[in-house]
Amino acid sequence: MCLFSKKEIRFTSINFIKVFWCKIVMKELKELTKVELKNLDKIFYPKINVTKGQVVEYYIKMAPKMLPLIADRPLVLTRYPDGVDKEKVSFFEKNAPEGTPPWVKTKTIYSETTKRDINYVICNDLDTLIWLANLAAIEIHMPFSKVNTLDKPDFLFFDIDPEPPATLSDASDVALLLKDKLCALELTPFIKTSGKKGLHVVIPIVPEHTFEKTRAFVHKIGIELAKESDMVVSEFKDTKKPGKVFADYLQNSPLRTMVVPYSLRSTPGATVSTALEWAEVKKGINPSDFTIFNVVKRKSNPWKNIFEKRCKLEV
Amino acid sequence: MTQENLEKEERVSASAPRRPIWSGSVTIGLVNLPVKLYPMIYDKGVSFRFLHKADGQPLKYVKMCTKDDKIVPWDEVVRGYEVAKNEYVTFDNKELNAIKPESDRQIRISKFIDYFSVDPVYFDKTYALMPDKSKEAYSLLLTALERKNKAGAGRITLRTKEYPALLHTYRGALVLTTLRYAYDVVNPQDFEDLKKLKEPSKTELDLAIKIVTDLSGEFDITEFEDSYKKRVEEIIEQKLKGEKIRVEKPPEVEAKSLMVALRETLKQLEKQQ
Repeated sequence: MCLFSKKEIRFTSINFIKVFWCKIVMKELKELTKVELKNLDKIFYPKINVTKGQVVEYYIKMAPKMLPLIADRPLVLTRYPDGVDKEKVSFFEKNAPEGTPPWVKTKTIYSETTKRDINYVICNDLDTLIWLANLAAIEIHMPFSKVNTLDKPDFLFFDIDPEPPATLSDASDVALLLKDKLCALELTPFIKTSGKKGLHVVIPIVPEHTFEKTRAFVHKIGIELAKESDMVVSEFKDTKKPGKVFADYLQNSPLRTMVVPYSLRSTPGATVSTALEWAEVKKGINPSDFTIFNVVKRKSNPWKNIFEKRCKLEV
Repeated sequence: MTQENLEKEERVSASAPRRPIWSGSVTIGLVNLPVKLYPMIYDKGVSFRFLHKADGQPLKYVKMCTKDDKIVPWDEVVRGYEVAKNEYVTFDNKELNAIKPESDRQIRISKFIDYFSVDPVYFDKTYALMPDKSKEAYSLLLTALERKNKAGAGRITLRTKEYPALLHTYRGALVLTTLRYAYDVVNPQDFEDLKKLKEPSKTELDLAIKIVTDLSGEFDITEFEDSYKKRVEEIIEQKLKGEKIRVEKPPEVEAKSLMVALRETLKQLEKQQ
């Protein structure tokens, strides 16, 4: 009954232990989450060999910071079922996909432009976030209003977008100018990286105005900023002027979105849209500091309790 | 084992050798059963040959004198047994051959035992026994052992070494498994690590037992695959076709770290509420 040679015995037992532990762990995982996790060793970021498992783990770790920020909002997903690769398929998805489990919260919203109902995913719990990661929804985007007050934004949004050769450092300078301006108006701005080349500044507000009002307000601030700084442009037609930083107000519209804080981006290096302290921006930031690997280690939670600091906007 | 597994196992098993490596007889008391011995265990893992990078020629091992780095021909080689540091008692081949046990071409069975009373740690190598001349006697011993679920314990001399051996049945055949000597096997109780082994708590033990029970199943050797060998063979095929090889390290099983992260996050979320 000596089934194996010595070599095989060593090999077999290692494999067996692996299979055994894997089964035990998968079983325990099942007790911890409703999501049926699959293909965890599939490569999602080929340049840096990051697997689906690592992406899922990232979102699990970020959930305590993320969930309060994205709760009750209809989400728009960018899915990369074969990983982040220019040659691979990716798609923008608003509709909850076929096979969405019944415990995932959704909200049907009629789209005027496409003349049909869209069934948006709402992510209020850890399982839904894990489910999204399991769907390869690597990027998650959210609108500036909550699902029950869709036409009343609770965020003002400034997209600070540098056009090369302008850099993130130029964008930071503009963001700091913007911050001083907003603070002078007794508003409380929060900042995050876009995860790509720009910065996002938001102000939590009491949801009582229409998007037209908030958009006009953000635009007005942009115009003032452009007057004060040569670097800033406030109009869409000027966005492609090299070396300028565009203070984009246009996203302040119903169901337009921004990438959610702590969402991974589809960059080769798995960068993250990272919530920052203003002090960090002052010191100077480096986009490579904010990736799947190091954002989980950040202790600070700059957007914590953001909705308790809502400002009343006078327009 | 289920019929399906059996068939799967048959498909992947190694092919039967043509020539016996030994012939002789099984001796039980005064009874003799003539048999031929065939190897049954192969190491079909991946093996490579060392080549000279510059010209692709195979390399060979040579014996070299440690003092002057000169190659020593076989007829100048003797064997040395180290009795003290750097002190050897030497033997030449003639002396050793004179005292080596001769194979007496017998598998001497001294008693019949319960097969499962021998722990696999003693199993060395298994050989298939085939009837030589008398098929009737072979069939008789085979059937008797199968009926009684017994194995014969005895010894055999193969080439120049005497082994303890087990004569047992395997899939309708008589097979012989050579065993290791007791002095070749370590007693795990001699490891320090086992000295302060704690008794598990009841809840832990219940959980562990539950897991073991839940994961209990039939052993199926075909579930195990030599993925290294498979990968090497794939690469060989690609190389033969002149394709470029991308060397990538397979990622580790990550479920464990997911579980740890999940537990931690669930704890934190509970606190937040």
